Amino acid sequence: MDIIVKTAGDDFASRMAQMFETVIHEGHGSLVLVFLIGVIFGGIIQYTRVDKFEKIAGFAMLKDTIVPKMLFLTVGLASIGLYFMVEAGYAHYHIKPIMWSGLIIGGTLFGIAMAIFGKCPGTGPVSIAEGRIDVLVGAIGGLFGGLVFTLYYSDFFKPLMGDSAGKLTLPSFFPGHEHLVVLIFGIVVTIIAIVIPKREFYDEADLEKLPPEERPDLKEVH
Amino acid sequence: MSRLPWWVGGILMAGLLLMTFSVFGADRPLGASTYVPYFAGLVFDLDPKKYTYLEHIKNPGAWEGVMLLGALFGGFVTSVFITKSFRFSLIPTGWKKYKNNSVLSRLLWSFVAGFVMIIGARMAGGCTSGHFMSGMSQMAISSMIFGTVVMIALVITGRFFYNVKDK
Repeated sequence: MDIIVKTAGDDFASRMAQMFETVIHEGHGSLVLVFLIGVIFGGIIQYTRVDKFEKIAGFAMLKDTIVPKMLFLTVGLASIGLYFMVEAGYAHYHIKPIMWSGLIIGGTLFGIAMAIFGKCPGTGPVSIAEGRIDVLVGAIGGLFGGLVFTLYYSDFFKPLMGDSAGKLTLPSFFPGHEHLVVLIFGIVVTIIAIVIPKREFYDEADLEKLPPEERPDLKEVH
Repeated sequence: MSRLPWWVGGILMAGLLLMTFSVFGADRPLGASTYVPYFAGLVFDLDPKKYTYLEHIKNPGAWEGVMLLGALFGGFVTSVFITKSFRFSLIPTGWKKYKNNSVLSRLLWSFVAGFVMIIGARMAGGCTSGHFMSGMSQMAISSMIFGTVVMIALVITGRFFYNVKDK
């Protein structure tokens, strides 16, 4: 039996098939690898529980610091590793441009929404996968946000975002001392991750499902 | 063990980022917000020839779309078999504690916040993954500006949106 994948049509299934086709041909990893990167990404987020409302909105309320600790540690370690990979020719930089109004207006809207939603675009899908209906509703809101952005991109959003002021990086300000700047940046960011005081805001509904010896909130008392 | 400590998560996430960036991996950054307008294009059947933004995000949108399907699968499997935290819920415990008990309020705010979040992410050109993690790992100035603005807006909103003082 032959499996026929229709990629030329105009229905929703063909449009989905075209998505896979695009990934196969764009040369940024095989389809399986890209899917696998997603599986690991979702797995790490779920296993560390940083997709929880109590972790993200909890950070906004300054009652939980696991999200910034983990983010800063990731950046500190990856910045050093990535720099030497780029030097050795094993990776490339893909710098996003500085568009002042886009970054400031966009960042403000993003921060406000992140505090209220208690999710971001990467952690939201993981929460949906573990059964959070309210996040699914938020994702539908996001889909309409994407629709509005696409429809009014040329007329409204692109002019509002402003022009690019260049794709600058921190080491480019210190010519001749790039290695040192990278090492200092990586080490300082890693230290920030370690010294941010650890505060945790647990979800009682999750804790109740665990046996007493596995409850992280009780463990810390001993 | 029901969860990984933050430092194990950070080390694993740094490893995943490096694998994604590497020429042996995907040779690109890890991002997670371009897929949303891409899916909006698929769902609402928008013509890329008419809307330049869709043409612009055709490749990264598709890449992230497949990555997202993986994240849904990975999140589901981990929640069911490892952390055993899978359950259906309409309102987070923390929302009940610091905001209100109304399901309708939570769903409306989720919808509005989801809408605003994607507009914000696309205006800035990235999100927590694309700007904060991938961008700051490249020491990009744009990502540091984004990270600072988001942190300030996040903490101010958290302070005024929730009844933090009461409890």
